[in-house]
Amino acid sequence: KVRDCPRTPSQPPPDPALLEMLRRFDLSWEYGPCTGITRLQRWERAQELGLSPPGPIRDALLEHQDNPDVTYRWVWSGMGA
Amino acid sequence: MFSEQAAPTAQGLLAPPLAEPPTFPRVPVLGYSDCSQPFQLGERSFSRQYAHIYAVRLAGMRPGLEQRAQSRWGNDIVLRKLSELQAGEKCCIVGTLFKAMQLQPSILQEISEEHNLVPQPPLPKYIQPSDELILEDELQRIKLEGAIDVQKLVTGTILAVYGSEQDDGKFLVEDLCFADLPPPLPWTGPSSDRFVLLASGLGLGSVSGEALLSTQLLVDVVTGQLGAEGEQSCAAHITRVILAGNLLSQNTQSRDTINKAKYLTKKTQAASVEAVKMLDEILLQLCTSVPVDVMPGEFDPTNYTLPQQPLHHCMLPLASAYTTLRLVTNPYQANLDGVRFLGTSGQNISDIFKYSSMDDYLEILEWTLLAGHISPTAPDTLGCYPFYKSDPFILTECPHVYFCGNAPHFQSKLLQGKEGQQVLLVTVPDFSATQTACLVNLRDLTCQPITFSGFGTDSED
Repeated sequence: KVRDCPRTPSQPPPDPALLEMLRRFDLSWEYGPCTGITRLQRWERAQELGLSPPGPIRDALLEHQDNPDVTYRWVWSGMGA
Repeated sequence: MFSEQAAPTAQGLLAPPLAEPPTFPRVPVLGYSDCSQPFQLGERSFSRQYAHIYAVRLAGMRPGLEQRAQSRWGNDIVLRKLSELQAGEKCCIVGTLFKAMQLQPSILQEISEEHNLVPQPPLPKYIQPSDELILEDELQRIKLEGAIDVQKLVTGTILAVYGSEQDDGKFLVEDLCFADLPPPLPWTGPSSDRFVLLASGLGLGSVSGEALLSTQLLVDVVTGQLGAEGEQSCAAHITRVILAGNLLSQNTQSRDTINKAKYLTKKTQAASVEAVKMLDEILLQLCTSVPVDVMPGEFDPTNYTLPQQPLHHCMLPLASAYTTLRLVTNPYQANLDGVRFLGTSGQNISDIFKYSSMDDYLEILEWTLLAGHISPTAPDTLGCYPFYKSDPFILTECPHVYFCGNAPHFQSKLLQGKEGQQVLLVTVPDFSATQTACLVNLRDLTCQPITFSGFGTDSED
């Protein structure tokens, strides 16, 4: 049986420090609610409202675009957004 | 408009027809641009909660309100967040209002087993003397009391209050202010008389056919098939017709067929099908002669939540062939011949009516303009799409004409603002009940009603 498309193996898993930084971004109340939207959408919304979200967060989000642990907010296991 | 110019030429109706009947070309459209892009939804994802729309509403209106508060109460007033409040200190707080109402219909109460209650019937107003106002910001909420009209205000309004926190934890309000009129738009209106006809609540598909005669008279006047040369030349100055919602009657919404067995309802057609066919024919007559903008309303076949999306053109095959037909959103915003129009089909105003002590539709319309938001009660008591990026109902520019459809009577008022804003407020009456439409003169922002009653009293002007 042949696989349809091989998974790109190039991306290394993001390190826990990055995930911790993203988690803190989620829980900062200044940028509004974090459920139901991707972290990038939340970052861009904060930017447009003039709240100056930190730039490294956006770089990290764009770098790990295909990793769902990075793009979506941190969820407790089993609970959706 | 019609009466003054028509009377001298009325004799023409008694004379034999001319060999070459005079024709009156309609005034051309000077400029039109649709500004309703914020109300057009692309992807529709309902998996979000409504916390986002409240958060962006507060974040979007907070800077403007803080500026207004400083200009009103002095530049040296203390602006505090609720978490920074100190008892007894006079300060100003900005937040979202929440009105705790005992009579507000609550789905949780209805399905709660311990209450065992019959769901309460719909009431015209849900206000009670025991209602309380609570101000919420990003983190906390606090009860408000003092110089604030609890009955008049509604949930979802963003405002700034000045006062101090009491020992019992409530905030004593001494003064409050809203976002006030948004900044004015430059005036580029026409220099000669041009009219826009506003009508709403055509109510097609209702059981009684009385309104059909009035609707046909309306169409005939606009297309220049009624009256002598005077009236026809006047009608040629109408550059656009805006139908503000409720083209179909509430009767078309009957849902009896849902409860019946399938075999009984197989051959029955939905009431709205016949009504939409009638609408198509009426729009066809109008579109051959004048540009028409059709906004959906509460009883029209489109989505329920605000902003309502345009009716689909496949429902109006005859009229869609003409480019003069524009199917637009509710709320609708556009530049017509240099004049900015903004209006809704009335759901926002009637919802505020239910939850506020204000009785007058014009008063509520003016209040929404001064509060800086088209529909503050959405999404609390009025269905709304869960926006997350920005709240499109915040008023950022002051329109020249601000209207709402399906009002009980015709009313209009010219509002002057401190920064040179000039807004014509119009409550467009329900045509099926009042047989009245409105003519707005774009040159000088005046508005007059035009009534098409069947018999008896004076019909026009």
